[in-house]
Amino acid sequence: MVFEDLYKMYWQKIFRLCMGYVNDHDLAQDMAQETFIIVWQEMPKFRNEANISTWIFRIASNNCLRQIEKQKRHPKVELPLNLKYVKDENIEPEIQFLYKCICELPETERLIISLELENIKQSEIANIVGLSEVNIRVKIHRIKEKLTQKFKENGHQ
Amino acid sequence: MDTNNINFGELWNAKNAKQPATKNLLVKIKKLKRSNRIGLILINIILVLTSIFFLSIWFYYEPELITTKIGIVLTILAMFVFVMAHNRSFKLFKNAKKTQSNSEYLKDLLSIKTKQQFLQTTMLNLYFILLSLGIGLYIYEYTEQMTSFWGIFAYVITSFWILFNWFYLRPKQIKKQRAELNEIINKFENIQSQLKQE
Repeated sequence: MVFEDLYKMYWQKIFRLCMGYVNDHDLAQDMAQETFIIVWQEMPKFRNEANISTWIFRIASNNCLRQIEKQKRHPKVELPLNLKYVKDENIEPEIQFLYKCICELPETERLIISLELENIKQSEIANIVGLSEVNIRVKIHRIKEKLTQKFKENGHQ
Repeated sequence: MDTNNINFGELWNAKNAKQPATKNLLVKIKKLKRSNRIGLILINIILVLTSIFFLSIWFYYEPELITTKIGIVLTILAMFVFVMAHNRSFKLFKNAKKTQSNSEYLKDLLSIKTKQQFLQTTMLNLYFILLSLGIGLYIYEYTEQMTSFWGIFAYVITSFWILFNWFYLRPKQIKKQRAELNEIINKFENIQSQLKQE
């Protein structure tokens, strides 16, 4: 598979994963770019026996996990990369609320629910995170309950 | 609880970000590679230059006593140790496999952080010991040529400076590094505990 194809296919998915993790548009975009830089570096080592989607989501979620340490080392720099981009103001508040709720979850739950909402099979999520499938199923159920609860408290239907 | 009446998937997928052109990303990758290489080259150049500086003292002033020569070697060694430790702790991260599962990756990060902590403290101690010894030996030849009052005075001042480094700057530096690393280690441990199988 060519890098350009992967980049086109996975950009939005990876961006959303990062966005669920940090709930900060600019930072998420930077993190998504970092992910693809790693993908580019790791590609020669990719063996076809692995599932490319699992492989790429592992890189992305591991990069999210390292964010804690990076924020310490390089205080966030504002890069006006996409000045023309219109910010989220006119997007339905529900979307913003969902991302906000997800970002408030514990780190691993953020990753798990993001992958689930991205329609990734639970067996694959188990493989990305490194937990059993049963465990993932239980966790997803609980996280969805939490989210529903929060939405209801906030008066959303 | 019914979780089906809110379509999270639909809300989730409504979020998009403008995708930077592939060309831009590739430019970024190239820049990153270059800046990494420049950093490495720069450190080594500095190292070589300082070594040349000290060696030129050796040849230019032609010290007679062996203590002076040992002093110079120890001082250079101290700097090597420092730079090596810096390089190694940097490399540790490069070796962490980024394509393993999250739980394995977290395990790796934690062990790297612990190694880093050890490396930083040990190397910093070694650096200070070598540097102090080196300077102490180095100045011997020159203080010997002074009157005993000024010779002792020079040693007192130097010792004072070394003790200040050892008892004030070194612990302060170690404490700072420890605090930073501990904070990260704690956070990683916290994330890891989230992954405990229930």
